[in-house]
Amino acid sequence: MNKNYLKIAFRNLWKNLTFTSLNILGLTIAFGVAILLSTYALFQLSYDEFHENKDSIYQVYSTDQLPDGPEGDVSKSIPFAGALQEEVPGVEKITRFNGRGVLVLNGDKQLTMTAAYVDPDFFSIFSFPAIKGEKNNPIGKKSSVAISEAAANKIFGHTDVLGESIRVITEGKESPFTVSAIIEDMPDQSSIKFDLALDFTNQSDFSYADNIGDWDKENHEVYMQLAKGVTPQQFEKSTEAFTVAHYADDMAAAKRDGAQPNAEGNYIQIRLFPVADISLAEFKNGIATANKTMPFLVLGISFLIIFIASVNFINMSIAKSTQRLREIGMRKTLGAGKSQLFFQFWGESILVFIISVALGMLIALALMDPFKTLFNTQATFSSIATPEILTGFIFVLLLITLIAGGYPALLLSKLGTIQALKGKLKLSGKNRVRDFLMVLQFGIAILLISGTFVLHNQLEFMRTKDLGFNKEQVVAFALNGKQNDTRTMQLLRDELEDKPGILQITAANNILGLGKDGSRSTSVLGFEYKGRNVYTNMLFVDYDYSETIGLEVIQGRSFDRKYATDSLSVVINEAMARTIQEENPLNARIYLDDSLSFSVIGVVKDYNFQDLDNTIEPITLFLNPERSTRYAYVKVSPKNATTSFEKIRAAWNKIEPNAEFTGSFLDENIDRTLKRERTMTTIISSGAIIAIVLSCIGLFAISLLIVAQRRKEIGIRKVVGASVSTITLMLTKDFLKLVGISFLIAAPVAWWLMSKWLQEYPYKIELNIWIFIAAGVLSAVIAVLTISFKTIKAALQNPVKSLKTE
Amino acid sequence: MIKITELEKYYRTEEVQTIALNKLSFEVKQGEFVAVMGPSGCGKSTLLNILGLLDDPDGGSFIFNGIEVAGFNERKRANLRKHNIGFVFQSFNLIDELTVFENVELPLIYTGVRPADRKARVHEVLEKMQIMHRRKHFPQQLSGGQQQRVAVARAVVNNPKLILADEPTGNLDSSNGNEVMDLLTELNEAGTTIIMVTHSEHDAKFSHRIIRMLDGEKVTENILVNA
Repeated sequence: MNKNYLKIAFRNLWKNLTFTSLNILGLTIAFGVAILLSTYALFQLSYDEFHENKDSIYQVYSTDQLPDGPEGDVSKSIPFAGALQEEVPGVEKITRFNGRGVLVLNGDKQLTMTAAYVDPDFFSIFSFPAIKGEKNNPIGKKSSVAISEAAANKIFGHTDVLGESIRVITEGKESPFTVSAIIEDMPDQSSIKFDLALDFTNQSDFSYADNIGDWDKENHEVYMQLAKGVTPQQFEKSTEAFTVAHYADDMAAAKRDGAQPNAEGNYIQIRLFPVADISLAEFKNGIATANKTMPFLVLGISFLIIFIASVNFINMSIAKSTQRLREIGMRKTLGAGKSQLFFQFWGESILVFIISVALGMLIALALMDPFKTLFNTQATFSSIATPEILTGFIFVLLLITLIAGGYPALLLSKLGTIQALKGKLKLSGKNRVRDFLMVLQFGIAILLISGTFVLHNQLEFMRTKDLGFNKEQVVAFALNGKQNDTRTMQLLRDELEDKPGILQITAANNILGLGKDGSRSTSVLGFEYKGRNVYTNMLFVDYDYSETIGLEVIQGRSFDRKYATDSLSVVINEAMARTIQEENPLNARIYLDDSLSFSVIGVVKDYNFQDLDNTIEPITLFLNPERSTRYAYVKVSPKNATTSFEKIRAAWNKIEPNAEFTGSFLDENIDRTLKRERTMTTIISSGAIIAIVLSCIGLFAISLLIVAQRRKEIGIRKVVGASVSTITLMLTKDFLKLVGISFLIAAPVAWWLMSKWLQEYPYKIELNIWIFIAAGVLSAVIAVLTISFKTIKAALQNPVKSLKTE
Repeated sequence: MIKITELEKYYRTEEVQTIALNKLSFEVKQGEFVAVMGPSGCGKSTLLNILGLLDDPDGGSFIFNGIEVAGFNERKRANLRKHNIGFVFQSFNLIDELTVFENVELPLIYTGVRPADRKARVHEVLEKMQIMHRRKHFPQQLSGGQQQRVAVARAVVNNPKLILADEPTGNLDSSNGNEVMDLLTELNEAGTTIIMVTHSEHDAKFSHRIIRMLDGEKVTENILVNA
């Protein structure tokens, strides 16, 4: 019997080659795209799952109640981790972690690499196994370094390097280390990545030795493994005495400045955040939560795409079934039961689905590389192919086949025998289902098209927004060379200053946007101002900073070499001026401690020094040519900007022949910070394109069938005088009505979703009704074009022909 | 074998109720060959559907092989049908996607006959209908007469006690039509009961008895002597 079903299934599919091809094409595209998108989403969700202790590893952070509201803080002070382990029960293991860029020297080779400064527990908390050398405690000695396989290959060209020595320069301090272990390369889904691991105490004095015992300077992260039987909530609760003991001053200041305590009445609460969620972490009201919107959005789009293709399948199967009614009737007459018929038709669906899934997999496989580039992801099939996910995949597939293939099969198997034998199908009810499904399809397409328009507009808005500084004319790069950076800056000035096209040169200890070196940092300074705690971002700059990047000075002046006292002066932005609440901010003096005070000499107009999902915070610029030399900024003339860029590169290569040049224009840096928006736009717009293509495949197939069904009617209408255009219009009208209904449903949903998404951004476009109307019109035009192939042909046909075939 | 008493069937739309069978009564004995005649719309096909257990009457009694089957549900009717009744239609109703062999095999599949027995049985019937050489062809590749022979083969492959034929020669020319009528006559002579709906007086003459219907009622019943 199964053989009989299979045989008839093949023959049927072959006989209806057009429909079979359209179905398989649609489903193949859908499965291919869905497999790729789900791989991306599951990859995002599977970060840091590989740690054996993942269920008990947490990052320690705190929620500080500030006058402006609660704020999350992952930076901790040097004594924090040790004290926490000693004073609060429940800490099984704990490690400090400071990841930073260092320069690694081996002979003549200079390499910029990422170093993790960690405590000995690090390697027993996390699963970063040593494949060679010291396995239990790879950095047991202070002079030991554990390096990754990839780093070993980069530094030495091979991995048989145990006992070899390298030199590491960090923050101007150079030290020798002996390779004690080779660490297996970290999986792509690791949030923590490093080339070398060093003992935490090996950092420069500025970062470590100067701060032992200092609870105010926070410059690294802390991870811990919770003891068995202790829940994170219990642990968080039991830290109250610890915070009272170590943060009494901060809490008193918060209370004095009018901050509201949290529900438990605390001003500082230590909290734990599970390691498996770190890659998706974001702070909401000072509490870290895993933001899974993006992966779930992508999974949602995969689902919608499969849904659209399945709807095509259902609609086509039902529409085609009118041609099989006699077969069904005959089979029933001969004694076939409902279940036998159901399984026969379902079997045909399964066949189509199996072929489509197989082809979809091949397509996904073939498109994996371009997909990875487009979506900026490391996702691979092997990285997500766990038994659970594979089982889930098969289950979902069966479910889709059961629903999409089963529904038409159920309808057909339930038909009455005589009705079927007569070849009559009560179409009214079925048409309602078909119309409903088509409305959903087009609704989804309109939703995604509107989404694409809104996202694209917002992305362009952010990309081209006036940020308050000159981003087109300024090149910035990291001073990551071996030489003393102050000297490098001087050499750079000597090399470039009188060159045509080079307008100005300066330096700062932070970059605007995201540079090619991929690193950036935030420095926040808190101090007491007239009896209140005041927080400001801080930036060390060289002379000419405001002029080079084009900040507008609205009060006072910027730093000037003419004034020797400028080293004890600061320039602030408008937000900072508001924070200190002075009528004339130029009268303000900032006391960092009793012996160190700075006078405000200028106020610059607010500029977006952070990503565009932040409002402009207070910032204070300190003139400090020595401490500012992490990034060089060069302003070039707008004419021949490319030539000037090459001049800068040449100068750098001359000064630091072995170090990489990481220069890029600031607008490129800003573009890099918009990666999330860009990826989201790519996802939504590809989703929209696929959705509309699939909907059109379905629409085309339905138009084929409808024209075939109404052939006689068209013939009669023509005989009694209908013109080609009235007939085309008549056939098109019904479809347009469906698109219209889809628009009415989808547009408000799209509006709501988009305005909700835009709420995340302080700088955003205004939603405009025309965006949604444009999406609706575009869908309608595409729909009309799709069906016009068939409708016009039908309307043009000689009526004698269509009437004769009846 | 069949006894219907005051059989009724109505068709209802929202506004009109049409009577298709109006208190119809007659009996058919085992081994009889009965023709049912009458103008279009007189209820012949409705009657055949009820006799073939494809449809359920709205009133009256229908005794099939001594069992009251009026009111049987679809599953019970299907079960009784597949073991006892064969159908021959005007439009053949062969499944286009199956070969001659597979079409004839179908009833045996649904009654659960083992594959080896099926093959033997199908071959036997195809030989008898003289279409063995066409067993691998698809219906569209055959002439009308050949297609109807396949349909007859399919109807008899299960050795049914009753064959219901709905205008079996309606789509055939006279020589092919006569061939099919001869086949039915042979089957009847071998003991199979046949009830045939027809418009053709010529075909009706092959039967033992003609029941004439009008507006859902029996008007006359002629017993033919020549058969």
